Amino acid sequence: MKLSKIFRILFSSSEAVQHWWAQRLTAVALAPLSLWFIYSVTTMHGASYETVTSWLGNVTNSVLMLLFILILYYHAVLGLQVVIEDYIATEWRKKVLLISIKTLASLFALSAVISMIIIYVEF
Amino acid sequence: MKTVNRPLSPHLQIYKPQLTSVLSITHRGTGIFLSFGILLMTLWLISLALGEESYNTFHEHVISWYGKLLLISFIFSLFYHLANGIRHLFWDIGLGLDISTTYRSGYAMIFISIMLTLLTLILGNVISI
Amino acid sequence: MAEFILPKNSKIKSGKIFSKANGAARKKKFHIYRWEPDSGENPRVDVYEVNLDNFGPMILDAIIYIKNEIDSTLTFRRSCREGICGSCSMNIGGTNTLACTKSISSFDGDIAIYPLPHMPVVKDLVPDLSNFYKQYASIKPWIQTETPAPEDSERIQSKDDREKLDGLYECILCACCSTSCPSYWWNSKRYLGPAILLQAYRWIVDSRDKSTDKRLDKLEDSFSLYRCHTIMNCTNACPKGLNPAKAIAEIKKLLVSRIT
Repeated sequence: MKLSKIFRILFSSSEAVQHWWAQRLTAVALAPLSLWFIYSVTTMHGASYETVTSWLGNVTNSVLMLLFILILYYHAVLGLQVVIEDYIATEWRKKVLLISIKTLASLFALSAVISMIIIYVEF
Repeated sequence: MKTVNRPLSPHLQIYKPQLTSVLSITHRGTGIFLSFGILLMTLWLISLALGEESYNTFHEHVISWYGKLLLISFIFSLFYHLANGIRHLFWDIGLGLDISTTYRSGYAMIFISIMLTLLTLILGNVISI
Repeated sequence: MAEFILPKNSKIKSGKIFSKANGAARKKKFHIYRWEPDSGENPRVDVYEVNLDNFGPMILDAIIYIKNEIDSTLTFRRSCREGICGSCSMNIGGTNTLACTKSISSFDGDIAIYPLPHMPVVKDLVPDLSNFYKQYASIKPWIQTETPAPEDSERIQSKDDREKLDGLYECILCACCSTSCPSYWWNSKRYLGPAILLQAYRWIVDSRDKSTDKRLDKLEDSFSLYRCHTIMNCTNACPKGLNPAKAIAEIKKLLVSRIT
């Protein structure tokens, strides 16, 4: 590997490139995960409390669900950031909106994780 | 020469809507809409963690008419965003970027997302739960 | 906030009607955007009804006829009338194209003609392209080398390397693609737009140019290149049949290959 390339990876100022790349990587991960999620929920007829909790009590399901929701939040924040950068020109408004969205997403993602741990431990 | 008062030529007002731009803005629209969907999905998980009673309350909203309407919209949005997202991934590796392929993949993508939505609604008995 | 609606001074009023096709067998109405800098009035749309047998088959023939025979104040740019100078780019029937290579018969019914979208208007169909040209200059559209040119020959390029420039060198900088791009409408100050990015790629892939990395560095911020969301209006609009969206996709691939 060329030294200049190593330097670039380590001290890259290219936040934009990384943002673009992260959006594609999360998209690739979300394609199978979202199909799995839709299929699981669709075939969960009636969706009673017992059915859903026992489904989430399964290790594989709960790990996949955890991955799904965390990657979803990450992908959504990346996407909304693009929308905000496109339409909001005023620098401070842009910053406030971005921080609000990131905070909201983090709080919700955290509560999703805690909820899933509770469900997993209980069932 | 006075240049300050130059008018801005019309854009959205006159530009012909075409498959390229319409599918693109719909991708953005479904993306924003699905972001709210994740919040609701999180509320669903929270209700499960809080116990049977809170889950049932949540579930009642899901099976109400507005809940079903939202659910159907989320399912379609997800399939649309997924199918068009895959189309975007092909573009990103440099494939299918000529206009004729773009139009064909666009129509195919609409067809697939509608079909998958219907299939999901039928399999999941969403309309009759 | 992006300007989705037109500012007050840009709202379009209805204008004059010129009916000059009395009894003609083949007639057509042209709705043309007009703005006079000295009048202090808002832009308006004038309607010209004309006899199609009086002039040639192209849109440019029609507007030249209108200027010569009906209303000499109508202002537009044109030069070569064969699609190589890029002067007569405008919005015709809802999409951007060259008036000289677009035939009248490709439209049913009335034809609306506006200047290129979301641009400051100098007069009538003439947009101010200063920002567009400034952006073109910013990508340094000339060859940058490290060695002096060979004394008795040009810089040699293999056939394969030369082929990489096909579909790029033909760009005539008419700005049809850039002004068809919604992303360019909202962020034309910082986003370079499809035409300039295609030109940037033309120098990035040129095997004789030695500034590839520097050129890519210039595009790495979140606005210059990354406001492109592959909407594809650009490729749809290009009157030369080129593919700016493909050129931009190739630049994005190169940028990613530098960090992975």
